[in-house]
Amino acid sequence: MNLERGVNGDSMRRLAFALPIISGVLIVLFLLDLMLGSVNIPLDALFSIMTGGDVKETWMNIFWDWRLPKAITAIFAGGALALCGLLMQTFFRNPLADPYILGISSGASLGVALVMMSAGVCGVGTIFAGMGLLGDVSISVSAIAGAFAVLLLILLISSKIRSNITILILGIMVSYFCGAIVTILLQFADEASLHSYTFWTFGSFSGVTWNQLPVLVLLLTIGFTLSIFSVKSLNALLLGEQYAESLGMNYHRTRIIIITTTALMAGAVTAFCGPIGFLGIAIPHFCRAIFVTADHRILVPGCILVGGIIALCTDLVSHLPGTDIVLPLNAITALFGAPVVIWVIVRGTRFGRGVTT
Amino acid sequence: MSDTAILTCTGLTIGYRNQKTIIKEVSRELNLSLRRGEMVCLIGPNGCGKSTLIRTLTGIQPPLSGEVILCDRRIGEFSPDERARTLSVVLTSQVQAGYLTAFDIVALGRFPYTNWAGHLTDPDKKIVLSALAAVGAGDLAGRFIHEMSDGERQKVMIARALAQEPELMVLDEPTAFLDLPHKIETMRILRQVAQKTNKSILLSTHDLNLAIRCADQLWIIDRKGNMIAGTPEDLVLSGIFGSAFEIEGVHFDAVRGEFSIPVERRGTFTLSAPESVVRIWTRCALERIGFVQAEGTTADISVTVRNEGDKTWWHYSQLGGQQDCDSIRELIGCITSPHNNGDE
Repeated sequence: MNLERGVNGDSMRRLAFALPIISGVLIVLFLLDLMLGSVNIPLDALFSIMTGGDVKETWMNIFWDWRLPKAITAIFAGGALALCGLLMQTFFRNPLADPYILGISSGASLGVALVMMSAGVCGVGTIFAGMGLLGDVSISVSAIAGAFAVLLLILLISSKIRSNITILILGIMVSYFCGAIVTILLQFADEASLHSYTFWTFGSFSGVTWNQLPVLVLLLTIGFTLSIFSVKSLNALLLGEQYAESLGMNYHRTRIIIITTTALMAGAVTAFCGPIGFLGIAIPHFCRAIFVTADHRILVPGCILVGGIIALCTDLVSHLPGTDIVLPLNAITALFGAPVVIWVIVRGTRFGRGVTT
Repeated sequence: MSDTAILTCTGLTIGYRNQKTIIKEVSRELNLSLRRGEMVCLIGPNGCGKSTLIRTLTGIQPPLSGEVILCDRRIGEFSPDERARTLSVVLTSQVQAGYLTAFDIVALGRFPYTNWAGHLTDPDKKIVLSALAAVGAGDLAGRFIHEMSDGERQKVMIARALAQEPELMVLDEPTAFLDLPHKIETMRILRQVAQKTNKSILLSTHDLNLAIRCADQLWIIDRKGNMIAGTPEDLVLSGIFGSAFEIEGVHFDAVRGEFSIPVERRGTFTLSAPESVVRIWTRCALERIGFVQAEGTTADISVTVRNEGDKTWWHYSQLGGQQDCDSIRELIGCITSPHNNGDE
C-alpha cells in the first residue's frame, strides 16, 4: 500500500483530485471579489453586467473600472509571487527564501522613490499628482527600471561567480544598499511624496488600469510558461547542485532561466502592485503540505492556483466589504498568512514531515 | 567479466590551477585502468587527493595534464547528457529534501532519459523499481527521504545512481557515517551490483579492512601522492599496503589482514582448547591484555578450555596457583589482579 504512494501514484492522484476543487474555489472567490466591496453588487446583476444586460450605471463603472481589473490582477500577481517563492526556495535550497531575496523589490523601490522624490524636489510634483497616485505610469516604469537594473547586476555577477550562496548574500546586500538610498531620499522628501511612497509600499491590487493590465498579464504569463518548462531542472535541483549537474542538467543555463524568470515576475508584480510581502514565502510551504510532495510538476501549477486563491482572499479582507475602509494589503497578507504558516509547520512536524525544501 | 576497459588514464596529473598558473599538483603521471564489471576501492590517508582524483575522473575538474578516457572517449568530449548516461555518482553530501519519496529520488536518476517534463514512461518506472529492489530497498519506495536512517538513505542514493543506467558508478565515501553492519551491507550491495549488472564501480573509502575483502582492485594513494594499483592480495603480500598506511605504533598484520592495536607486552601464554569459536575469542582476549602465544610449551600462564555438556569454563594456572573461571571476564580478572599475577 505504501508502494502506491511512491509509484508516481499518490501525489499525481492528489493533484487530479484537488485540481477541480481548487479551480472551483478560485472561481467562487473570483466572483466574490467582483461582488463585494464598499458597494456590494448582487450575483444576478453581476451576470447581467457581463452579458451586457441593463443595470445601474454606478455598478457598471465599479465593475469595469475597478473590480474586474483588480480581481484579474490579484489572481495573476498572487500566482506569480507564490511561484517566485517556490523557485527561490528550490534554487537556494532555503525554506526562508522569498521572491525578493535577489533584491528585485528593493531595486523597484529605489526606482519609485527616486521618481517620486525627484519629482517633489524639482517642483514637477504637481504633474504627477494630477495623474493620480497609483495609476501613475511613471511609477510602474520607474519600478520596472529599478527591478531590471538589479536583475542585470545579479546576472552579471552570477556569470562570474559559481556559488549560489554568494549570489544570495549579494542579493541581500543589494537590498540593504537600495534601502539605504531610499532612506536618505525619504529624509529629504516633502510630506506629499513621503505619503505617496508609503502608500505604494502598502501594496495594492487596485492600481492596475486596463492599459497596464495586458502588460502585467503578458509578463506574468511568460514567467509561468518559463517555470512550467523548468520543472524537470527544478526537481533535479532538489538533490543539490552537484547531483543536478551529474544528471546532465546544464546548471549555468538553468540558473540564468530561474533568476530571470523570478526577476521578471517579481519585478512586474512590484511595479504594478507594490512590494507585496508574505505570499511568496508562505504559499510554497502551504502547497507542499497540501499536495504532500516536493515534485515541481505538481507544485508549479499548484502554486499558481493556490497563490491566486490566497491573493483574492487577502484582497477581499483588505477591502472590508460593506465599508469604505481599505486596509493595507501587506498588513492583511501577514496578519492572516503568518498563523497559517505556523499551523502548517506545527502540524507538519507532528507527522515528522520536513518543512524545508 | 570481460577485459574491456571502461575507464583508462594515461599520464594523468591532477591538481588545482588558477587561471593559467598551476597552484597545486596533487598527484602526477597516473596510469590507471578500470575494467567492466570490476569494483575498485580508492584508499589513502586523509588529504592525499582522493577527492581530487574522483573529481577529475568524473569530469568535474579538468586534469592538469594527461587524459581520462571513458568508454573510448575523452571525458571532456561528452555532452552533459551523454556523460550522465555513462557515469553516475554518489556524493558525500546528504540530500536534505522534504516531501520526497525514495521513488521520487530514484526516479530522478532517469533524468537523462526522460522528456522535458521528466515524465516517467512505464519502462522508466520498471527500471526505478528494479534499481530499488537491487539494493534491497524495494519496501522503501513510498517512504519520505527525511524519515529514513542513514543506511536506508545511502541505499536509495545508490539505487538512484543505478537507475541512471551508467557504465561506471563512482561513489565518494559511501560507507562514511554508517555503522559497521551497514558498511558491510553497502559493500555487499555494490559487489552484487558490479557482478550482476556488469557495471564498473569506483569508490573511495577509509574502511581498509572492508576494502581488502571486497575490492577487485585497490588504488592506493600514499601521503606523497604516489599511486599504486593492484589486487588487494598482491598489495598485502608485497607489503605495499601496510607501508602506505602504517603510522608510528600502528602496524598492519598481514596474517589477519587488519591493523593490529598495539598493547604493552605482559607475558606469554599457552592455550589448550579444541578448535572452536571459544578458542579464537579466548586467544583474542589474552592478546588484548598483552599476552602472546608462547613458542614452546613453557609460558607465564596457561589456560585450558573445558566443556561439559552446555557448560564451558576456563581453567587458569600459573606459578602461583590455579583457578576455574566461568567467563572470560572472570578469567581476565584472575590474570590481571595483582594478587594472582607475580605474587611469589
